[in-house]
Amino acid sequence: MSVSLPRAGAVYDRGYRPYEGERGGRGASRAALVRLSVRRALGLRRSWKQKVLPWSLLAIAAIPAVVNVGIKYVTRNTPASDFELITFRDYVGVSTTLLLFVAITAPDMMCPDRRNRVLPLIFARPLTGNDYVLAKVGALTAILFGFSFLPQVVLFVGQMLVVEEGALDFVTENAEVLWQVPAAVALFSLYLASLALAISATTARRVVGGVALLATVFVSGTVATLLVRGGGEPQSFFESGNLWGLISVIDIPLRMSDLVFLGHVDPESLVGGAAGAGIGVVLVYVATVTGSLGYLVYRYRRVE
Amino acid sequence: MASELLLRTDGLSLRYPGGTLALDELTVDVPRGSVGLVGANGAGKTTLLRLALGQLRPTAGTIEVVGRPVAEDPVGVRAHIGFMPEHDCLPPDQTAADVVATLGELAGLPPRAARQRASEVLDLVGLDEARFRPIGGFSTGMRQRTKLAQAIVADPEVVLLDEPTAGLDPIGREEMLALVGRLAGFGISALVATHLLDDVQRVCDQVVMIDGGKLRHTGATQALLHRTGAVRVQVDDGAARLADLLGVAGVDVTVVDDATLDVRVDGDEGRVLDLVRDGADDLGLALHALTTRRGSLDELFLDG
Repeated sequence: MSVSLPRAGAVYDRGYRPYEGERGGRGASRAALVRLSVRRALGLRRSWKQKVLPWSLLAIAAIPAVVNVGIKYVTRNTPASDFELITFRDYVGVSTTLLLFVAITAPDMMCPDRRNRVLPLIFARPLTGNDYVLAKVGALTAILFGFSFLPQVVLFVGQMLVVEEGALDFVTENAEVLWQVPAAVALFSLYLASLALAISATTARRVVGGVALLATVFVSGTVATLLVRGGGEPQSFFESGNLWGLISVIDIPLRMSDLVFLGHVDPESLVGGAAGAGIGVVLVYVATVTGSLGYLVYRYRRVE
Repeated sequence: MASELLLRTDGLSLRYPGGTLALDELTVDVPRGSVGLVGANGAGKTTLLRLALGQLRPTAGTIEVVGRPVAEDPVGVRAHIGFMPEHDCLPPDQTAADVVATLGELAGLPPRAARQRASEVLDLVGLDEARFRPIGGFSTGMRQRTKLAQAIVADPEVVLLDEPTAGLDPIGREEMLALVGRLAGFGISALVATHLLDDVQRVCDQVVMIDGGKLRHTGATQALLHRTGAVRVQVDDGAARLADLLGVAGVDVTVVDDATLDVRVDGDEGRVLDLVRDGADDLGLALHALTTRRGSLDELFLDG
């Protein structure tokens, strides 16, 4: 019996094959832009060096939650079981450790496209400047939300599992947290993402964008502290020095967090302890976010 | 919405905010195929491409690309167009495979299909070996081929190529022209904007010639070349008398010297040659040589 074997080593000229598969519309292009922005920010499909920073910061941001849960576990049957290293509201403040991540990621999402003149290629696809802005803001907001929210989940679930009174009682006692945490974290993430991307959009150089963001945060915070603490005890919000507390860029989302958790601004804060502080914080928050988004839309209204 | 036309403009004008009139009532119908859009620097070629992409709005008039009015859906029309800009626009830190796949996703292809298509088109343009190398290490020719690959990755109906041979050495230029010449065979119409008329003469079957934003000439390349062809006639002394005789018959003649004249061929070459032969015979001049000299688009452009 003879067996005919296929000939090996044949060369085929495949030439050009038209694409006949699925095609998404404009929505698919928008979704792709968000996906690609998230991928870039998290270092996915990039070298390991690009992955170190985001994932290290996520781990660092989760440390207080893990420690708090550990303490709860160790002290669960002792008088010290009520000790709390950190509260859910305080944990929103821990998210400010992500500032370094944002200072690196936001310019990395915006500047290379302009510096390498990739924008004409992007806007030759079914995408507009508004799509571009929404995709970038959406991607960074989603990442910040995830990185801020996950440690809160660790804190909540960890405590739920180790507390003496049982999981159900813990959930019942902390039911409000279930909406307060995501709301506060979402407000924080949107604010920081909008501001960081707007600052990054002013330059084509990543390092300038990152330094500009950090300088804005630290200079505004330092100036606000000097002005407020030099103003004596607060009487009314506008007449005392508390008004200057509003210029501290990083304080605004934290005071919004106060409003979500407490219903009022923390009295110990720069703008706290005087009437009208809450309204002032909300106005500055809205102005910063809308101003940042407005600038981004203006900046990308036309392709260069 | 299949159309036999690649491009249709009607009274298309664009005046930039600074007052520069880039296009001035351009009205032209361009059939599908390989079309050369030629003109000097600043003639309005890139402006016309950006109007076709919906990135600019005309001051007056209309423009359709493959039967789709750009004004009705300036973003949606881009789903059918590939674009290769003139300038360098590729991120140097990414591989060709990543860039082309990314831009395929932004054109609406699913991620897996985009990567597959990127691999195929990079293979097609001769970058199969280099596709996983960072673009920063590419030669100008490789970058140009990567730009062409991203333009066709989503299998568009038409590609707009802005100066595709700019900056290439003779070998790179030959390779690029060969690729552009193959596009029509793939079912992709090409609008090639260039100031290098020789490129158009070699790969385009249609020509649109603009100058100062106005249409100078349009038509099939071969027909336009015939308009600029000439026959060099060498006779005994008496070229001036033959020129007079041919002039009476309506033939455009230039006397080079006493024994040589150039006869312009405008359309029917056989008729002109017959007139030369009969004229020489009538005047009793010995006809020593008849040399057909093919015209060029450069002459057509310079003649106006």
